[in-house]
Amino acid sequence: MHKSLLAITTFAKISIRRYFRDRVAIFFTVVFPLIFLFVFGGIFGKNSSSAFHVAVINQSSEAFAQKFDGQLKAEKIFKVDPKVTTLSSAKDKMSRSELDATIVLPPDFGSLKGKTYPSGIAQVYYDVNDEQAATTVTSILQGQFETINTELIKNPTPFKVQTQKTNIGGLSRFDYTFSGLLGFSILGLGVFGPTNYFPQMKKQGVLRRLHITPLRPWEFFTASVLSNAVIGIFSIGIMFIVAMTVFHFHMTGNILNLVVMIVLGILSIFGIGLAIGGWAKNENQAAPLANIITFPMMFLSGTFFPRFLMPEWLQHITTFLPLTPVIDGIRQVATEGKSLVEVGPQIGLIAIWTVIIYAIAFRVFRWE
Amino acid sequence: MAEVILKVTNLQKSYDDKKVVKGVSFDVRRGEVFGILGPNGAGKTTTLEMIETLRPIDSGSVTLDGVDVAREPQKIRYLIGVQLQSTAFMDKVKLTELLDQQAAAYGERVDSHALLKDVNLDDKASSFVEELSGGQKQRFSIAAALVHQPKVFFMDEPTTGLDPQARRNLWALVNKIKAKGTTIILTTHYMEEAEQLCDRVAIMDKGQIIKLNTPKNLVDELLEKGFKKERRVEQANLEDVFMDLTGKGLHA
Repeated sequence: MHKSLLAITTFAKISIRRYFRDRVAIFFTVVFPLIFLFVFGGIFGKNSSSAFHVAVINQSSEAFAQKFDGQLKAEKIFKVDPKVTTLSSAKDKMSRSELDATIVLPPDFGSLKGKTYPSGIAQVYYDVNDEQAATTVTSILQGQFETINTELIKNPTPFKVQTQKTNIGGLSRFDYTFSGLLGFSILGLGVFGPTNYFPQMKKQGVLRRLHITPLRPWEFFTASVLSNAVIGIFSIGIMFIVAMTVFHFHMTGNILNLVVMIVLGILSIFGIGLAIGGWAKNENQAAPLANIITFPMMFLSGTFFPRFLMPEWLQHITTFLPLTPVIDGIRQVATEGKSLVEVGPQIGLIAIWTVIIYAIAFRVFRWE
Repeated sequence: MAEVILKVTNLQKSYDDKKVVKGVSFDVRRGEVFGILGPNGAGKTTTLEMIETLRPIDSGSVTLDGVDVAREPQKIRYLIGVQLQSTAFMDKVKLTELLDQQAAAYGERVDSHALLKDVNLDDKASSFVEELSGGQKQRFSIAAALVHQPKVFFMDEPTTGLDPQARRNLWALVNKIKAKGTTIILTTHYMEEAEQLCDRVAIMDKGQIIKLNTPKNLVDELLEKGFKKERRVEQANLEDVFMDLTGKGLHA
């Protein structure tokens, strides 16, 4: 037992040191997931979905129109495109969905027309595909006009509507996506790593050299899992730091529970890579098999988009993919603050898969 | 006669109905250097791989230091050291780390610097294997194969692809290992090497041992049959010139 422990710790220690000397490995385990993080963080990170992209075309020279134009541009709910000055260029952009709507203030907008107060009709243009956005933009404008109207003509207004936001502590879209990205990172680390370097070590005869020693496959497996877990925690730790500092990820769970979840995830997913890499004689055998197994998980386990968007029958099936409980478990612990007992079903599913995967890995492993 | 450490009896192996090793038997004595010679495809490597526990034995038996190879392969692995033909080690790992790792596979801790010194590589302790020359790699792989002080040391074509200096260095190293009492079994293509190093040689062809004796006796036997070689006594040959000009230093 003491001998096994020495073998396992020495092998794990040296392969961790080797990892930090390998720039290509660092790129694929740290930089590559970070690129994904920035891409998806850029898409889901800012709450830009609640702002409307509009163009404001002011054709009036009245003082009121100038003031109203400035007021629209200061409005947070509108993101005014300053480059659009003509209706034709606005239509062009609307047809490509770059703009949600265009607000036109006609030449007589804000003129007195012989009365004591200014008046006018603002026009909202929109593309047929953006009807919903246009309706919202229109109602926002109406709200603003109502405020102005009551200031100009003192009329009693018995009924009013007030809106208030209630998403205190709710999940932002980024929070939801982030655990999927962690899943993707674990998948890459656990499957593409070993399916690449195990056949390579066989080809070079590195494993043959180990085969002639008394080292047992389980000792070699344990050392590999151990070093992979350390590398995984390192890579995922960096992702967490970036997610919290750059994208304001809301970490609500217990960090220790989260580490347990992540290590369990790495353990089970790494087994897939170990089974494929340990079985394959060369890269030509390993690569296609690795792709066949990982691609469905990459898209169906909630890696890049949430599983609740899928039809119900597909959700039922994908619940049982090996990566799904890993991603769900991590999300529930990290963003919903659940305890390890509460994610029991996920841990149970991970445990079942781990037993199955490693049973296969031991059976099919060959040193050369 | 010295005690027998390895006893091979009627060893056989076939691949897809093709017999590669057809009933090989020989004894190796403790402390000797035993050579196996033969053309490519003679079955040398397969024979050795069966003894080294790398390949299952079809029939026949192998006993090494009293341990049956087929029955207790794990025990055998502690007794033998194998220097492989390909000198592949993991890249981006220091020589000392590789030795530590190799020793850990046997559950041992070693003084890796001292082991490197034994093969004249102590100045390369922090280098990676990929930075070594051919001769250095070969010496390192010997150091790695000997971390656990095996009783029997197998070397598969140890000098193939080396230049003359590196070859001579390696011969000196083999003699050093022998002097420590390790039994050595080696295969080679070079007759000069066999003559220089081996106490006894077995000549294999087509999966069988066709001759086994000391190099000197084999030559004598041939001469007794009336063999005559066109003999020309040379004072020196081109290799001597090369060695004289480039020296025998250990920088190979």
